[in-house]
Amino acid sequence: MLGKGGKRKFDEHEDGLEGKIVSPSDGPSKVSYTLQRQTIFNISLMKLYNHRPLTEPSLQKTVLINNMLRRIQEELKQEGSLRPAFPASSPPADPLGSSYREAPPAFSHPAPAPCELGGAAPLEACLTPASLLEDDQDTFCTSPAAQPAAPARLAPPALPPEKDSFSSALDEIEELCPTSTSTEAAEATTDDPKGDSGGPGAHRPEGLQDGRPDDPKLMDSLPGNFEITTSTGFLTDLTLDDILFADIDTSMYDFDPCTSASGTSSKMSPVSADDLLKTLAPYSSQPVAPSQPFKMDLTELDHIMEVLVGS
Amino acid sequence: MVGWRSQSRDLQQDAILADRASSQDPLGSPLPKMIPGIGAFTQDTLWCFSQVKGTMETGTTEADIISTVEFNHTGELLATGDKGGRVVIFQREQESKNQVHRRGEYNVYSTFQSHEPEFDYLKSLEIEEKINKIRWLPQQNAAYFLLSTNDKTVKLWKVSERDKRPEGYNLKDEEGRLRDPATITTLRVPVLRPMDLMVEATPRRVFANAHTYHINSISVNSDYETYMSADDLRINLWNFEITNQSFNIVDIKPANMEELTEVITAAEFHPHHCNTFVYSSSKGTIRLCDMRASALCDRHTKFFEEPEDPSNRSFFSEIISSISDVKFSHSGRYIMTRDYLTVKVWDLNMENRPIETYQVHDYLRSKLCSLYENDCIFDKFECVWNGSDSVIMTGSYNNFFRMFDRNTKRDVTLEASRENSKPRAILKPRKVCVGGKRRKDEISVDSLDFSKKILHTAWHPSENIIAVAATNNLYIFQDKVN
Repeated sequence: MLGKGGKRKFDEHEDGLEGKIVSPSDGPSKVSYTLQRQTIFNISLMKLYNHRPLTEPSLQKTVLINNMLRRIQEELKQEGSLRPAFPASSPPADPLGSSYREAPPAFSHPAPAPCELGGAAPLEACLTPASLLEDDQDTFCTSPAAQPAAPARLAPPALPPEKDSFSSALDEIEELCPTSTSTEAAEATTDDPKGDSGGPGAHRPEGLQDGRPDDPKLMDSLPGNFEITTSTGFLTDLTLDDILFADIDTSMYDFDPCTSASGTSSKMSPVSADDLLKTLAPYSSQPVAPSQPFKMDLTELDHIMEVLVGS
Repeated sequence: MVGWRSQSRDLQQDAILADRASSQDPLGSPLPKMIPGIGAFTQDTLWCFSQVKGTMETGTTEADIISTVEFNHTGELLATGDKGGRVVIFQREQESKNQVHRRGEYNVYSTFQSHEPEFDYLKSLEIEEKINKIRWLPQQNAAYFLLSTNDKTVKLWKVSERDKRPEGYNLKDEEGRLRDPATITTLRVPVLRPMDLMVEATPRRVFANAHTYHINSISVNSDYETYMSADDLRINLWNFEITNQSFNIVDIKPANMEELTEVITAAEFHPHHCNTFVYSSSKGTIRLCDMRASALCDRHTKFFEEPEDPSNRSFFSEIISSISDVKFSHSGRYIMTRDYLTVKVWDLNMENRPIETYQVHDYLRSKLCSLYENDCIFDKFECVWNGSDSVIMTGSYNNFFRMFDRNTKRDVTLEASRENSKPRAILKPRKVCVGGKRRKDEISVDSLDFSKKILHTAWHPSENIIAVAATNNLYIFQDKVN
């Protein structure tokens, strides 16, 4: 834990998790590696798109975060291209045929394949505040027993068929646009509310897989103060975020110690992740796990859809 | 010599013990324990609190946060810049013969508002007035000159004293009102009479509109006629006399901004060769350029990069390798770079690796993810040489700062805090413990206060006097005088 005068803990094991690269090949370590990668990916996205400073954001910071995202994307892409060689041990109901999108799916499929282990890692652990990542390695490798619980909790039974249509549409989009650029993103969007994910959805491990079309004018609401941000591939992925979160009070997102207006000493992040979560709680009838800052479950999306359609 | 790891021996503890031991001299005469000044960091050097400037209140106004500290070339003046755009200059008082035990203290000499906040209407963004850097010009006459810069504009300030004023004008009366020439019957010569000392700062030049990105460094050339200003993607060369033009000498902006993966983080001129400068990047590389080679120095003359240590690779390898500060040694033979966890010394003649590496706070290596989340990983620590290039200093968290002696390979961690602020109190070395067993007086990594960071420090050019900026307070420490 980082903080001012935090209570001392008798730490028995080494905080060795983050210092080294964990080889993705061994079982539980693979989970933690993917988990860590996913967490970092989400943190990076959060940094880029929820920072609304009065002054220009630091170009150095933006570049470093972008590089981080690119690297993770590259890794995911490489893993995605390797995966199809694996035996299809995943059950047919598994919508994510390729664990390319193994990063925590919104459609918490009921029976995760072994190769999906990393991606289906318990949703509540996927976006663990980073401090928890450091403290306890055991949190990551939850037993498979926990996993059905999560899907059962979050996925209404009617979902699986929808997931299939989602995933197949996703596959199509993947083939269409293997790399994310702004032009491709613009082309890839359709008006199909269900089928397509926004933009090059293949690269959106966040799993915001509803089919809201890309809204070009949302690009302006993104931090496009530097030329780099208006044309970086990542931006296009996130237009959905902006759609979904446009109505949400974003004042809670500003937990950055450097920009927080109050003169209080900087509090570290776990608080903010929980705060963010609370803002999402109204959208979900189920109790939401305390550490899912931006995970809009398919259920929740469904909820929103229902509300909007008025059914 | 590569990869030397600090043993964290308590230099100060040893010195205190040695002190006591030597006072038992059987002959009864006090042994000379101190090797005075000139940056010699021997076993006997003890650091003592001298002064602290700034308010004691815990609630800090953002504007008071110190953002840069710099001694002038003689060490007589100490300038600080803050987030509110103000510059405060301290002057060392003359050492009196009566008080040999106390070295000259620094007192406020001049305060002025250097930069004001501006608004960029094109981008609808504020331009911060925070002073990023101050650099002094060498003194050439009675006045002092310094450069101060915020994100976009560099200004040359003249600080001059006035302790006499003319009296006895013919055409003006004593209040300055004009006299009717018809009433003047006699003429007199105005004389200069002494007055209370007045220090005034006037902006002599404003170098504006040359940087699209944020200025991170300025450096005065050894020819004293030119200086450079560096932002994230470009470096410009200015002549002090000309404000409406500057030469672009480095431009790393790619044609397609999507391809941008590296930015300039710091730049400095060589202390003696006016054609040579270095700049560091966010990828942990340093480039040395020679302006004689071409007008646009995009092709470096030397390229310094250390190969990555595969055993230490992590997601954050690139970010922690980003260099936050680069400084030439006074001799001009070495450069020192600061990245997030280490300080490295490079020999200009060896490009493939540094000759010395010092761990500043390696215990943070396992906390990098949290530090990434709370943005601390992007903190830009500076580093400084002492006058003889034998000791280097840099800051850390929890108001700790570290000194490394390059000759003895010993290091010490000291703290800038109000608790240690009794006059001439000797600073006690601090220690951070990583493992489970915490000894008395040690502090555990988890208890560190990451909001108390020491980013800016300065070392007197010839004496063992250091200035350490801790948020809104400026601490001045000196070595112990007998």
